[in-house]
Amino acid sequence: MNVPAQSLSPGFHTEDMTISVGPQHPSTHGVLRFVVKTDGEVIGEAIPDVGYLHRSIEKIGEKVTWHGYVPYTDRADYLAAMFANQGFCMAAERLGGVEVTRRGEFCRVIACELNRIASHLISVGTFGQDIGAITPFVHALRERESINNLMEEICGARLTYNYIRIGGVGYDILPETCGRITEFLDHFEPIVDEYNRLLSYNKIFIKRLAGVAVVSREDALSYNLVGPNLRGAGIKWDIRRDIPYSVYPELEFDVPVGTGHVGTLGDSYDRYWVRIRELQQSCKILRQCLKMLPTGPAIAKVPRKFKPPAGECYVRVEAPRGDMGFYVVSDGSEYPYRVRIRTGSFAAMAIIDKLSKGIMVADLIALIGSLDVDAPEIDR
Amino acid sequence: MSFGSYVSDIKDTVKSVFEGMAITFSHLVRRPMTIQYPDKIPVPIQETLPRRYRGILEVDMDICTGCLACERVCPITCITIGIDMNKETKQRQFTHFDIDVCKCMYCGLCAEACPTGSIRHSQEFEGASYDPAGLVRHFVTKPAALYKPKKGGETDAKLAEKVDTGLKYLDEFATPDGGAAAEEK
Amino acid sequence: MQAFIDQLIQEGYFQAVSKEAVYATAMVLVAFAVLSFFVAPLAGVTSWLERRVWARMQSRVGPNRVGPQGILQWLADGIKNLLKEDLIPSAADKKLFSLAPYVVFVGFLCTFVVIPFGSQLIVADLNIGILYILAVTSLVVVGILMAGWSSNNKWSLLGGMRSAAQIVSYEIPAGLSALTIVFIAGTLSMQGIIKAQGWAPWDWFLFHNPFTFAAFFLFFTAALAEGNRTPFDIPEAESELVAGYVTEYSGMRFLFFFFAEWGNLYVIGAVATTLFMGGWQIPPVTDDPVLLGALQFMVFFLKAYFWVFVAMWVRATLPRVRVDQLMAMCWKYMVPLSFICMLGTIVWMLVFGPQGSQIFSVVLFVLAVGILGYFANRVLYQIRNARPELYFKPHI
Repeated sequence: MNVPAQSLSPGFHTEDMTISVGPQHPSTHGVLRFVVKTDGEVIGEAIPDVGYLHRSIEKIGEKVTWHGYVPYTDRADYLAAMFANQGFCMAAERLGGVEVTRRGEFCRVIACELNRIASHLISVGTFGQDIGAITPFVHALRERESINNLMEEICGARLTYNYIRIGGVGYDILPETCGRITEFLDHFEPIVDEYNRLLSYNKIFIKRLAGVAVVSREDALSYNLVGPNLRGAGIKWDIRRDIPYSVYPELEFDVPVGTGHVGTLGDSYDRYWVRIRELQQSCKILRQCLKMLPTGPAIAKVPRKFKPPAGECYVRVEAPRGDMGFYVVSDGSEYPYRVRIRTGSFAAMAIIDKLSKGIMVADLIALIGSLDVDAPEIDR
Repeated sequence: MSFGSYVSDIKDTVKSVFEGMAITFSHLVRRPMTIQYPDKIPVPIQETLPRRYRGILEVDMDICTGCLACERVCPITCITIGIDMNKETKQRQFTHFDIDVCKCMYCGLCAEACPTGSIRHSQEFEGASYDPAGLVRHFVTKPAALYKPKKGGETDAKLAEKVDTGLKYLDEFATPDGGAAAEEK
Repeated sequence: MQAFIDQLIQEGYFQAVSKEAVYATAMVLVAFAVLSFFVAPLAGVTSWLERRVWARMQSRVGPNRVGPQGILQWLADGIKNLLKEDLIPSAADKKLFSLAPYVVFVGFLCTFVVIPFGSQLIVADLNIGILYILAVTSLVVVGILMAGWSSNNKWSLLGGMRSAAQIVSYEIPAGLSALTIVFIAGTLSMQGIIKAQGWAPWDWFLFHNPFTFAAFFLFFTAALAEGNRTPFDIPEAESELVAGYVTEYSGMRFLFFFFAEWGNLYVIGAVATTLFMGGWQIPPVTDDPVLLGALQFMVFFLKAYFWVFVAMWVRATLPRVRVDQLMAMCWKYMVPLSFICMLGTIVWMLVFGPQGSQIFSVVLFVLAVGILGYFANRVLYQIRNARPELYFKPHI
């Protein structure tokens, strides 16, 4: 809802308030800070202040070996750790001329799609909590527990996996795990419907989000938004479809795009609804992968001291928060020369200032949640 | 606002609230999923963890060959191994093998690099200590000899068992020439 | 209760002191008894129950360690808060800051004077009963504004202003719905309203006519808004304003606000029961006054606590509305609908007489039972569609 900031009578002298949302705030996603100037409830501008979670991950890339850097990429966005793993490993493989085995590719897709479901569950859950619905958040976490258990079975860790390695994957997926993944999918798909009935179709929820913080197509493109933020604005762009990698060309899935069926195209509800539908599409992809999983080794032969020839490459993977780009430069030694990670949340922070003019403080929280910004991704 | 949209607003609100309350009530009468660790659980959690769980590192010094592969591959330099020459026996021996558990990233690269499987991730995750020194695990209390793997298999029964456990642990990792599920399906 | 004291004086107990002194001492003693033995444990147990109910609705177990099933959790929380450092921010207005929790507390406690727990169990049966409750709960606004302003914190100020706007606005639908009932009962006194109803559900004012049925939901929603409960908990919206007007409070002062909130839930339930659900009316099973009093107390308590449970349930389910939507909902939806309910009831009474029509009441009651049946059906549908055995399988 856009209320012009000069809606008070001109002769009435008011003062703007400058308040600081964060860095300690129950619902900025991670350690973020916004300096918000408001006129009562209506925001004049919201300037993001990032850097509270900076851990120099890109600099560390220059100090550890190629194999040793893969666990660090987990921490670039700990909610979507697999994708960072995959991005870096793909870059290293492209530089080193390593071909991943077919079974390795399928294992990668299975792990990535499971992680996508987990990340989107957190995203929609915390979004519901920001709007005030406390129960759907815990239900989403409950489902994520099952995914954590599956990942624990596959690779031994629940959050920072270090599963995707240069040349394939670190551990093979055993048949009983595949059976458990299928069981989980059978259990999970009706749960998404229940989640929708509890939260997504709730009239209060819809009224909070319909028409709030609309991102137009031009804005989405000029501010460089990616992922569900871009698709929520109506642009059908998905790296898995448009710059395909791994075995995605062989898999059948839809790319959900925002339609504006409640409110305007590109509003917060569209972005949220794109994420819910991506949950369902990931289930579809997983079922196909489990059926098509070939036999063979899960990892290719890669030397212990990996020394790709000098060169540079840019790899993009479709992470849950948009496309994650890895620009890796090698100078022929066993340490990378430069690793640069480009994440979607950083661009989403830039658009918050533009979108927050004229909305209310409650809408700012809805906006941040709907863009699914994630502090570790922004600050790395 | 038209009368139709007014009425439909009220109707939608009532319907969605009704449905939401039915869902939460249905959860109220279902069994909760909490595991009430640490006292109200049937078996200790450590026994329910999967084989591949990456808990706190442990080293079986009896089969450690002192190759320093784990120290080299660790991305965060949490493993420190000291080897020197024993003056009497003219054999190399360990002086210290320290793992700084609070630095460890639990990435598993060291376990994968070990040739005998002596450094492993255990199922232990309760490693809290009251002072930082307690977080550094020392695996060598007195200088110990390095393990020399024998050609043609290990003859000593106890050591053979340990070598077996180590190799079975290494089987979990994927390798370029097959792996656990290569022959299935 | 006044009759009881008069009887004691007549029997010659308090010869030495004046009548006013006896009255004053009795008032203080009764207030103390009600507060410490009823209200304090009630608010505490409500807080524990709220956490357990939320937890079960979220597939987890709530506090269950302190005492059997965790029922003494509130005592542990209270003691912990008492032991905390009493922190007043240096830039805050000290007098207002210290006073605000007590104003809120007083605003809610004063209502207990007229809550009718049984036919003889009421502290003072004022003949302006329901009006007194509506008036005294408005004191809470003053307390919240004081808290928001004196904290010298912009978040608190926003919370306090939102709360003031909210409570003042929602007085109107609440008052109008109560007025609807007053028309039928013919009196403002709480005991009078209860005595005008019967013990059977179709004698309750809830099913008297369709307009009172709607007025009940309007009243309940408005009362939730007055009590700062979700979906209207904007003043203390945890995810937006850190904690709204209680941001700067810590320790026992913080607990006082929430004490008032949980206790207020009970007052909402009690008033809803009195107005709409026949209060303490029970079928005539016994003549013994003690047993009768106990039964009436139990029935009233259960009915009132059921609405407390519903308030907790609603809070667990619904997201929160935005401030401008809250105001729109009040002024554009609830006030016109309350007026319609009131006028409809008046017309109904003109047509069918002051007792209403028994047939319509029974039909409404059957309809309500039907809605409950449909609700149970939806609950069973949800249970059938989710597979609980897969919630969590430890790897054994």
